[in-house]
Amino acid sequence: MAVSGDARPAPRPRTRGAVYPALFRHARAPALALGRVLLSLGIVGAVWAAVSASGVFPDIIFPSPGSVWDAARELYDDRLLLPDLGISMGRAATGFALGAGLGVGVGLLTGRTRVFRALFNPFLTLLRPIPAIALVPVAIVWFGIGEGSKYFVIAYTVFLTVWFNTHNGMQYVPEVYIRASRSLGASRTREFCAVVVPAAAPHIVAGIRLGVALAFLSLVAAELTGASSGLGYRLQEARQYIRTDRMFAILIELGLVGALIDLVVGAVARRIVHWEGV
Amino acid sequence: MTAARGHVAIEGVEIRFGAGRRTTVALASTDMVLRPGTFTALVGPSGCGKSTLLNAVGGFTAPTAGRIVIDGVEVAGPDPEVGVVFQAYGLFPWFTALGNVKFALKRLDLGRAELDKRALHCLAEVGLGGHAHHFPAQLSGGMRQRVAIARTLAGEPKVLLMDEPFGALDAQTRFSMHELLLRVWGVHGATVLFVTHDVDEALLLADTVHVMSAGPGRVIRSYTVDVPRPRSAARFDAALVDIRAEILDLLRPPPIPADAA
Ligand SMILES: Nc1ncnc2c1ncn2[C@@H]1O[C@H](COP(=O)(O)OP(=O)(O)OP(=O)(O)O)[C@@H](O)[C@H]1O
Ligand SMILES: [Mg+2]
Repeated sequence: MAVSGDARPAPRPRTRGAVYPALFRHARAPALALGRVLLSLGIVGAVWAAVSASGVFPDIIFPSPGSVWDAARELYDDRLLLPDLGISMGRAATGFALGAGLGVGVGLLTGRTRVFRALFNPFLTLLRPIPAIALVPVAIVWFGIGEGSKYFVIAYTVFLTVWFNTHNGMQYVPEVYIRASRSLGASRTREFCAVVVPAAAPHIVAGIRLGVALAFLSLVAAELTGASSGLGYRLQEARQYIRTDRMFAILIELGLVGALIDLVVGAVARRIVHWEGV
Repeated sequence: MTAARGHVAIEGVEIRFGAGRRTTVALASTDMVLRPGTFTALVGPSGCGKSTLLNAVGGFTAPTAGRIVIDGVEVAGPDPEVGVVFQAYGLFPWFTALGNVKFALKRLDLGRAELDKRALHCLAEVGLGGHAHHFPAQLSGGMRQRVAIARTLAGEPKVLLMDEPFGALDAQTRFSMHELLLRVWGVHGATVLFVTHDVDEALLLADTVHVMSAGPGRVIRSYTVDVPRPRSAARFDAALVDIRAEILDLLRPPPIPADAA
């Protein structure tokens, strides 16, 4: 072979099935990360236990880990903990799907088409600073206190974030990719599907990941539109009865599930835009 | 390859950027003819308009004045008949080496099996048949440029534009890239326009070397190199040694004067 300049050994090809070996190859890193998480949680738990054991705050204001655990058991036994979670997740998922789908769609349009950009961008830019919670009264008037208003509040939040990221990603596609595509004779359709969208994909995926987190965050705001179930409703209910222990149990549940979802979404995102090295 | 394929005529091309008082003349009126199947190198200091001229031939930038005619047709935009190898980052990182080459072949309307076969053949031509399923991020800089060459030549362009394609590579890799480029050029026989900072690289590869100067960018001297290939930078022919000395003299920046006391 005439070319012998590359002394670098050939790296192993990355195939679709290689996800498990990759996980095992770096097995020490996740173990380490897990250790750090447990350590951090352990310290927080210990401080929490110590503060509540000191008796500075009454248990009704600042419940001990033990009473929060009992409250969680009680919610579980009343068949509220998991059904509430299921109902809330269903709302978040539906709102997310609507908002993210619309956000990507509109972002693809405004990102590459001048007409749509001129039409939508000023309006959407005005909407962006309006928080989801400020939309709750409007949502109730428009959609009543049923599921519709909850989907609306969540979808609104997710939509704006996903649109914004998609739009920006589409705007900053490196010129060299467009030039390469055109000088290789690609049609505009193929340029869009095989060059522009993949080039913007890291931004789109980042927007979607943010959208997942926001769907979760706006969930509680959405359930302020008069719900009779769900984690947000259960929090409100706990407030009426001053059940701080229940509130803590629900908040911890929200935190754990949210972190877990973000972990999964992050892993999926890395697989999708594998070339980014994020 | 018929003799009529790949005749490039650059006729009074002038390129300015900006408008009003902020206009920069990137390229002063330039005439140049690239005969079919020849290898032309452009050397010159940074900012003298080498890339600007190349981009105009590639159809990426419209000349402010004058025109570029390829085989009797005026350049009006990018065209698959005019292939481009970019300095770096030209490969699509979301496609494998094979996927990148297949992208170039798609317009030919081949069957699926034929498409794969042709793309693999193109990669094998640059010695990367075994790396077809690697992504660019998994390849070295030299390998990436080999894929880029394979991708560009896959479409059988009659003109090949290269803007410092080996500028980011180390001297060793660069040397083997020169061999490879001359080999595949021997097979495909496109008309090449090659931009480089490196005078030796120009003298090793080209039939004609145009030397450009900045402010405003223009061609100040042209040399014909008729030493047969392969040429060696280590044992340059006497004729080449003279040309090299002259070009280096032309490119030498004016001395920086000491401040007056
Ligand atoms: N899009 C642009 N807008 C404004 N000025 C430009 C643009 N592109 C190039 N120029 C200017 O035109 C001149 C020539 O640029 P060009 O990139 O062609 O130089 P070059 O010879 O390729 O330099 P290098 O060797 O550094 O790549 C420079 O002064 C540059 O600043
Ligand atoms: Mg340049």
